[in-house]
Amino acid sequence: MAETKGALAGLRILDLCDERGIYGAKMLADLGADVVRPEPPEGDSLRKRGPHSEDENATPVSLWHAFFASNRRFFSLDPENAEGQKQLQKLVDRADIVLSCDGAFAVDAAQLEAAQSRRPELVVVDTTSFGREGPWADYLAPDLVAAALGGVCAVTGDADTPPLKGFGELNFMVSGVYVAIAALSALNHVRQSGEGQRVNLSVHESIVSCLEHVLMAYWYHESLPSTPRIFPRRGSLHWSDSYVVMKAKGGSIMVTPIPDIEAQIFWLVEQDAHQDLLEEKYSDPRQIMATTRRVMEVLQDWVATQDVEPLFLTAQEKHMPYGWVLSIEHVANNPQLKARDWFVPYDLAGAATTGPGAPYLFSETPWTMGSYGDTGADTQALLDEMGWGDAS
Amino acid sequence: MSRPLEGIRILDFSHVLAGPFATRILGDMGADVVKINSAARAVGANKATHPFYIMWNRNKRALAVNMSSEEGRETCRKLCEKADIVIDNFSVGVLDRWGVGYESTRKVNPGVIYIQMSGMGEGGPWSKFVTYAPTIHAIAGLTALTGVPGRSDIGIGFSYNDHQAGLHGAVAILAALESRQNLGRGQRIDMSQFEVGVNFSGPSLLDYFVNNNSSEPTGNKLPYDIAAPHACYPCAGVSGDAVVDERWVAIACMTDEQWGAFKGVMGNPAWADESVFDSASGRVENVTRLDEGVTKYTQTLSPEDIMVACQKVGVPAGVVQNAEDLVERDPQLKQSGFLHTDEGEYGKFGVTYSDKLPFQFEATPCDIYERVHRVGEDNVAVLQDWLDMSEADVKQAEEAGTLK
Repeated sequence: MAETKGALAGLRILDLCDERGIYGAKMLADLGADVVRPEPPEGDSLRKRGPHSEDENATPVSLWHAFFASNRRFFSLDPENAEGQKQLQKLVDRADIVLSCDGAFAVDAAQLEAAQSRRPELVVVDTTSFGREGPWADYLAPDLVAAALGGVCAVTGDADTPPLKGFGELNFMVSGVYVAIAALSALNHVRQSGEGQRVNLSVHESIVSCLEHVLMAYWYHESLPSTPRIFPRRGSLHWSDSYVVMKAKGGSIMVTPIPDIEAQIFWLVEQDAHQDLLEEKYSDPRQIMATTRRVMEVLQDWVATQDVEPLFLTAQEKHMPYGWVLSIEHVANNPQLKARDWFVPYDLAGAATTGPGAPYLFSETPWTMGSYGDTGADTQALLDEMGWGDAS
Repeated sequence: MSRPLEGIRILDFSHVLAGPFATRILGDMGADVVKINSAARAVGANKATHPFYIMWNRNKRALAVNMSSEEGRETCRKLCEKADIVIDNFSVGVLDRWGVGYESTRKVNPGVIYIQMSGMGEGGPWSKFVTYAPTIHAIAGLTALTGVPGRSDIGIGFSYNDHQAGLHGAVAILAALESRQNLGRGQRIDMSQFEVGVNFSGPSLLDYFVNNNSSEPTGNKLPYDIAAPHACYPCAGVSGDAVVDERWVAIACMTDEQWGAFKGVMGNPAWADESVFDSASGRVENVTRLDEGVTKYTQTLSPEDIMVACQKVGVPAGVVQNAEDLVERDPQLKQSGFLHTDEGEYGKFGVTYSDKLPFQFEATPCDIYERVHRVGEDNVAVLQDWLDMSEADVKQAEEAGTLK
C-alpha cells in the first residue's frame, strides 16, 4: 500500500498522462499521493523511452520511465474487454483527481464526463497540445514541434546553428508542472466547497507563458534601452547583454558583471587585467550600457587566462553570480548536492542505485522515493483493495 | 462562483522573477497576494515601472514597507500573523534578521506556511552563492546539455529555470495547503532553485548513476531515442540577412507511418524512396543525406505552408515562431485570447499586456487580470483588510516614513 507521510498522503490520483502531463503526476506522486497508472498488458509505451539500464545480466529498465513514473502503482488492464473496462471504472471511481492527456492510453475508455456526473466532487485535469478548440486543436506536437510553435526554438541556439529545443523533456516539464498546479488548486476548491470540476490545460499556452523576455521585449521594447522588439537566437548571450558563457582554462563559465559592475571593474584592476576600464567615460552612469559592453569584452580576454574552477569559486566569494558550466558527471558529484544529501537511493525493479532527489524540502512532510515496479506490478494489490473478487 | 484560491492570504517578499512568478499564478487563481516593496528596493527590475516588474506582478496588491524602520518590521510581523503563506527568495536568513522568520511567526500563527526560494537552499558549501537563472542553468547542467555536439556555450535562450522555480514553488505551496488540512499546522519549505534545475536532467542523471554515461548535447536529435526527420529546417520567406529574419520549420516524424506521409507531402521525391530510409534506424544512420533532401523541399516554401500540409496528413510539424508570430499571427492563441491587455490603465504605459493562465477551470473561471500596482498603492486597503487599521493610522504611518 502506498500509504506515506508526504504532504499529499491520502490523496488518490489516477494518472492517464502521456509525456505532456506525466511530470505533473510524478510531482504529486513524489509528494505522497497514491497515484495509480494503468497500462496495457504489454506495458506502458513510455517504458520504451531511453536511456535504459545497460546491465547485460538483467532486463533493461527504462530510466526515463523510472524517473517520470516514480512512486506510481502500476495497474495492467485491457480497456477493450469488459473486465478491463470495469476495472478502469473502479479506478476512476476511487480517485479524487484524474489527470488525462487527450489520446493517451485508456483516456477515452475512462468515460470521464460520465464519472463527473456520478461524482461531482471529482477533479479532472485534461491536457491537450493546443486546447480543445481552435484551428490547431488536432495538430500533433511532440516535444520539438511544441518547442518550435511555443517560441522556445527561435531564441535557443546560435547564429551558426539551427534553432534548438531544450535538451530532453524541458518543454513538457513546463506543461507537467502546470498540471500539478491546476490539480491542487481545483482540490483546494473541493476542500472549501465540495465541488469538483474539469480543468482544461493547453501545452502550447504553458510553454508560451514561460519565455521570460520574449513577449516583454515585443510589448515594451520602447521602454527598454537598446532592446530589440524581436530577439534572434544568439548563443548564451542574455537579452540584457550582460551574461554570457566564456571560455576559461579547463572549461566554460557563465560570466556577468551584474549586479555590481564597479566591484567587477575593481577585481579586474586588482588582477591588472582592466585594460582601458579606468578611463573616465566608463564611470559615467548614463553610459552604463556602453560600459557593460566594454567590461564584457575585457572579461573575455581575462577569463580565457584563468583556470575555470578557482575563477568560479573566487567570483562567488566576491558575491558575483558566475556559473561554472558543469557536465552531468560534475553535477552528479557536486559538493553542494552531496552536503544536502540531495541524491537519494532508487530501487529500480530490484536494482539499487542513486538518483535525483526532491526539488523542495518540507519540514513536516518528507518527500520520498519509493521502489519502481514492472508492468502491472500493483494490479493484484489494487484489485484486492477494491474488493474485486467480492464485487465482481 | 469564486476562484479556487479565494480566501488564501499570501505575504510576498519575493523579487525579480522566480518568486513573483509563483505568486502571480496564485493571485490569478484568487489568492490575496500582498507584495511587499519599498521605495529603497524599487530599483532596476524591482522598479514598478520596469517592464520586468509589470510582467510578473499583475493580480497583486502592493504594500510599501520600510524594513529599515522598527515600525515597518513590526507591521510585517503583524501581517505574518495573519498570513497563510509567507514567501521570499532572499538569501537564507534575511527574514529572520527582520524578525519575521518562520520560527517566530509560527508561535503566534501555527498554520502559517513559509517557503524560501533561495538560490542554493539552506546549508552546504555553496549556500551563500549568488545566482540568477543563467548561473543556475550553468551549474545545473542545463547549459552544457542544450546545444550542439562539441559545444557547451549555448544553453537555453531565456530564463527557463526562473519560471520553473516559480511554478515548483506554487506546487509546494499548494501541497502544503492540502497537508495543513490533515496536519492541522503549517510548515516550512526550503526550496533550492539549483536543485529544481538539476532535477530536470533526471533521466540523464540516472543514466550516469546506473550506466556511468555522462550525456552530451545532441542538437534537435532525441538524446536517447530514434526518430528522423527530427530537426528544424530552413524555409523561404526571409526578408533580410539577419538571423532574426530567418524562417524555419520543425518537422518530427515519430513513426514510419509519419515518414511515409511526409514523403507524400514532399511529392515523393526519388531519393526518399531509397530503402535505407525505410526504417527509423536507417534514417538516423543516414541523417545527413536525409536532412539535405528535406531541406531541398523546405527551402522554397514558407514554414506556414509546410506546417499546414504536414499536419493535414498527420505529420507533426510547426513553424519556429518568434515573438511577432506569437503575438500577431498565432491563430490558436488568438482564438483563446491568451495574449491580452490587463484591466486598468497604468500611468505612462496606458495599457499593459500579459498572457493568461494556460488552463481554464470550468466551474471556477479565473478571468480577472488586473494590472500591476504601484509601490504602496494598496497601503490603506491591505492594512484595513488584514490588520483592521484605520485609514487615518495608515496615512500617519505613510507620513512618518514607515510605509514607503
